Amino acid sequence: MRAPRLNLPGLATIAVVLAVWEAAARCGFLPFDYLPMPSEIFLAWGDLIASGEMFVQTLHTVESIIIGWTIAVAIGIGLGLALGLSPQMRRWSLASFEILRPLPAIAFLPLALLLFNFSLTTELVLMVYASIWPVLVNTMGGVMAVTPRLYDVGRTLRLSRTRTLVSIIIPAAAPAIVTGCRLSMGLALVMAIIAEMIGNPHGLGYAVISELQAMQPRRMFAYVLFIGLLSISLNAALLWISARVLRGHRWTDDHNA
Amino acid sequence: MRNTVMLRTMAALRYAQGLLPLLLGLAAWQAFGPVKSPYFPPPSAWFDSVLFLARSGRLWPAFAATLASFIAGLALACLIGFALGLFIGRSSRLRRALNPLLEFCRGLPPPVLVPVAVLLLGYAESLKLFIILWVSVWPILLNTATAAALLDELLIDVSRTFHFSPAMTLRKIVAPAVVPAFLLGVRIAIPLTIIITLLIEMLTSLPGIGSLIVTSQRQFRSAEVYGMLVLVGILGLVVNSIFTSVERAVLRRWPSTAQ
Repeated sequence: MRAPRLNLPGLATIAVVLAVWEAAARCGFLPFDYLPMPSEIFLAWGDLIASGEMFVQTLHTVESIIIGWTIAVAIGIGLGLALGLSPQMRRWSLASFEILRPLPAIAFLPLALLLFNFSLTTELVLMVYASIWPVLVNTMGGVMAVTPRLYDVGRTLRLSRTRTLVSIIIPAAAPAIVTGCRLSMGLALVMAIIAEMIGNPHGLGYAVISELQAMQPRRMFAYVLFIGLLSISLNAALLWISARVLRGHRWTDDHNA
Repeated sequence: MRNTVMLRTMAALRYAQGLLPLLLGLAAWQAFGPVKSPYFPPPSAWFDSVLFLARSGRLWPAFAATLASFIAGLALACLIGFALGLFIGRSSRLRRALNPLLEFCRGLPPPVLVPVAVLLLGYAESLKLFIILWVSVWPILLNTATAAALLDELLIDVSRTFHFSPAMTLRKIVAPAVVPAFLLGVRIAIPLTIIITLLIEMLTSLPGIGSLIVTSQRQFRSAEVYGMLVLVGILGLVVNSIFTSVERAVLRRWPSTAQ
């Protein structure tokens, strides 16, 4: 990993954008009736932190993400290992998964609402369905890419099948699996916010919508900016953790996705 | 001739093998599921209800509205993302200065933009296009910019030596290096674009499949909800396979030059 270096021109650009926004809003140059000034947004942000509201909403969203993500990772790794290890399993079910995978998860939201009402379950259904796929696909791909020679090593050492899996195959596939887990965390956050906007009236997604309906643009923007920061720090933290976990692996991760 | 037919039949059979769990599951649902269940209506009821929606003339206008927004938004995002990506990618100073801002815009979870746009633009069709464009442009722009930044300077010098016109340079030098990354950006943008199009319709009740599903759900017409879920799934599948064949054709023309 590169040593973090302060990107001064980058920070300056952000400062300039905020300053121009502030000045234009003060002079009334902006064509939008409800766009608050950055200074007002930061004041509202301070209030939300001081009153503890933001903390409560964040806690709900983060909790549900962790629950949903854990379920998705467990199912994704399980299915991915089965599909990656067994050609039979692939022959008899892979096409079914390929049909289900491109199904936009959001289409499940009305169905989940119908079955589970406005609840955490509705939120979890959406999150789990969306975030299983990166884990599943990466685990399967990672396991299938393990060189056959490593299986020979297991046989030479007379390891049991479980032992071979745990101490040889999974570690060899770890980079792909970890990348899948990281990508699915990002999806879980997006889906949690969608579900909270429509399906489960708690958390940060609900906060944004309710501030909109209460015509509190300043507070709404404070939540929006906070969600952006949360998403970026979550991704950065996961990148950092995966670099730790995979120390010693030849680290190839695409930063695109 | 007979051989290719046989090979094709075998490939089709092998594919059908993999579909079996899904088909068996649906068949079991149809056979053993309660006919009048308010929550788990059998697949035949889904089909009937979609047919009913289509006959009543509500389905196709909604479907067309969703599809039109999706295509228009994605096409605009491709154009703007590619052009801006090239422009930003070719200047390292500009890239460094804009990077944190662009990364923030990309990192911002797309759904939160819907309320922002509703606040600023009101419930209008322009809102739909604006949000779709905003969401799908970032992966395309940033991927193109990264590839453009990694473009070999030597190749640019070659085009100068040969006095290539700008159009020629773009076609012969820049495109082969940038197009694969651009396509990867589009691949990432597509599912996001579908999700956001439906979400906007669900939240704002602008005409489209999203608002139609929510209406059915509010009226507890579960068969319609299941039916449209399948329809949206088919849409996702079709878009995915069209894109895959476009990608294959384009990459044959400009094979990936990345290591």
